Amino acid sequence: MKKVLFFALILCLMAGTAVSAGTIKIGLMAPITGAWASEGQDMQQIVELLAEEINAAGGINGQKIEILTEDDGGDPRTAALAAQRLSTQGIVAVIGTYGSAVTEASQGIYDEAGLIQVANGSTAIRLSEKGLKYFMRTCPRDDEQGLVAFKTLKSGGYKSIAILHDNSSYAKGLADEAKALLEKDGANIVFYDALTPKENDYSAILTKMKAAKPDVVFFTGYYGEAGLLLRQKMEMNWNVPFLGGDATNNPDLVKIAGNDAAAGFMFLSPPVPQDLDSQEAKAFMTAYKKKYNAEPGSVWAVLSGDGLRVVAEAIKATGSTEQDKLVAYLKTKMDNFPGLTGQISFNDKGDRVGDLYRVYKVDNNGKFIMQ
Amino acid sequence: MELFIQQLTNGLAVGGIYALIALGYTMVYGVLKLINFAHGDLFTIGAYLGLTLLTTLGLTNYLGPFGVVIVLALMVMGLVAIVGAALERVAYRPLRTSHRLSAVVSALGASIFFQNAVMLIYGARYKVYPHDILPRTAIHVFGLDIPLIRLLILLTSIVMMIGLYLFIQRTKIGTAIRAAAIDQGAAKLMGINVDRVIMIVFLIGPALGGAAGLMVGLYYGQINFTMGWLYGLKAFTAAILGGIGNIPGAMVGGLLLGVIEAMGAAYISIAWKDAIAFCVLILILIVRPTGLLGERVAEKI
Repeated sequence: MKKVLFFALILCLMAGTAVSAGTIKIGLMAPITGAWASEGQDMQQIVELLAEEINAAGGINGQKIEILTEDDGGDPRTAALAAQRLSTQGIVAVIGTYGSAVTEASQGIYDEAGLIQVANGSTAIRLSEKGLKYFMRTCPRDDEQGLVAFKTLKSGGYKSIAILHDNSSYAKGLADEAKALLEKDGANIVFYDALTPKENDYSAILTKMKAAKPDVVFFTGYYGEAGLLLRQKMEMNWNVPFLGGDATNNPDLVKIAGNDAAAGFMFLSPPVPQDLDSQEAKAFMTAYKKKYNAEPGSVWAVLSGDGLRVVAEAIKATGSTEQDKLVAYLKTKMDNFPGLTGQISFNDKGDRVGDLYRVYKVDNNGKFIMQ
Repeated sequence: MELFIQQLTNGLAVGGIYALIALGYTMVYGVLKLINFAHGDLFTIGAYLGLTLLTTLGLTNYLGPFGVVIVLALMVMGLVAIVGAALERVAYRPLRTSHRLSAVVSALGASIFFQNAVMLIYGARYKVYPHDILPRTAIHVFGLDIPLIRLLILLTSIVMMIGLYLFIQRTKIGTAIRAAAIDQGAAKLMGINVDRVIMIVFLIGPALGGAAGLMVGLYYGQINFTMGWLYGLKAFTAAILGGIGNIPGAMVGGLLLGVIEAMGAAYISIAWKDAIAFCVLILILIVRPTGLLGERVAEKI
């Protein structure tokens, strides 16, 4: 009897390893809990949906993929722990994460472990300036956005400009970038300061800003605060145009501000899938709606889907799961791969190449219209 | 001058909400010497319950805007009070005789539990109150546009605080609460049911916190499962500023903190407004270690 049990155990173990040897493991590090949980849960849903699609189509080169998700809580310390856990699980690459500071805390760990990291929402410039071999991102960098912001403000003919950020490394980086470009061009920055995120009352800030009499306000923070600023600005009867950075691209902005307060608000963003007419994007939107009965809230989550797709493509093209080969393929050979957010190529720093940003405007019905 | 008055009203409206939440901290501290870290999350629960009741009951169909608000406020206060009492029963009463630190850790645990429970029930996205519940009229004073709701928030807070003060000072239960705050053992010997007194404290404090949550939801529109943390921290600061354990102290501390923040933002720097507020707190604590009104230690609450 003991022998039978022993063999049964051996068989089970063999079966277990046989199955796991057949899958390609890819990690996802996302803020499933914490302040960015809505984005993180979106990321998880999107990556899992795409993985299911890949597996339903027969996997990559006949091998199924398996997604291992770790929660980074939107917090650098949790992210470091999550990165250490993921690095020990035999994954090929890791997708994520969202905030720049959070990604930064995990970068070194993945690089040391020799794992490819494809960040999806971390736009801080310095992340790709450290010479880390295995770091890539599907999102653009802040300097590109700063340049687009500058061009937009300049072509709008605004003379005195107020800039407001929220002291996060992302928002401050973008604000500094735009400010430097504007000042070099001779624009008058009449106001430059930061608010505290997650407060509900910004009337003190708006009152102060109004006194500086700007022609336009450029807010580089997130949509939750942007929605409240728009709403409270309207309550003060202050009609100043607002321009937002790409973190304001979220349909909840309009819900928070209300249609009348949000109308006319402009923001910069990579195009959302709804605005792309490529087949990939359309098919993705249909599948997402079918499975989750909603539309993805944030373009940053969609970029994590692109992260999975480029990794899958690299494994398929090279027929290998060796990180060195994959990175070489992604940085040099991948040319205008049709992603969900447009065509994707990478430069040798791992940054996405190409002009991604568009200017959006909110219309009277609360819809985001590409300009 | 115009700017000054505008900022003063801004600060008072925010301060009124801080003060309402601070009352919950101060009452619990007064009786139990416990800082109820889950209080900020009870505030969040109030905001979310308000939204659920508002959207499911359809009160707007047969009540005017102020009728809706009053009915809603009573329901939210009642429900959050029950949550608060349950919290006391489950998380604090079993630790009544153990070390004070155990209760504080239990409070932190309860806070994490509530925050994540709200996230799991309602989702992580921002939730938004309907926009047309309250009239958006502004009144003109000294050439300023002051939204009517802002004044109403301040007024409601003050009325609730005065009501609580009178309740504590003038009623029999209030006397019992004060007695328990001074000496629980002696209060027991005088025939006061201390467990019941603590239960009442945990009904009133959370009810006020829940009302503050509802007010934030109704006025600002946007609620989020992490909102309790920042408001809780500010209200806790306000309670310390005014002298923790002291009810008028919580009122003064809350209003003062709101005004300091608004003035710091207006005349120094917005990015530094929290630092300014905390510097003021430190200065006051250096001069008056018990807080502004905390001198009568024996008469806490």
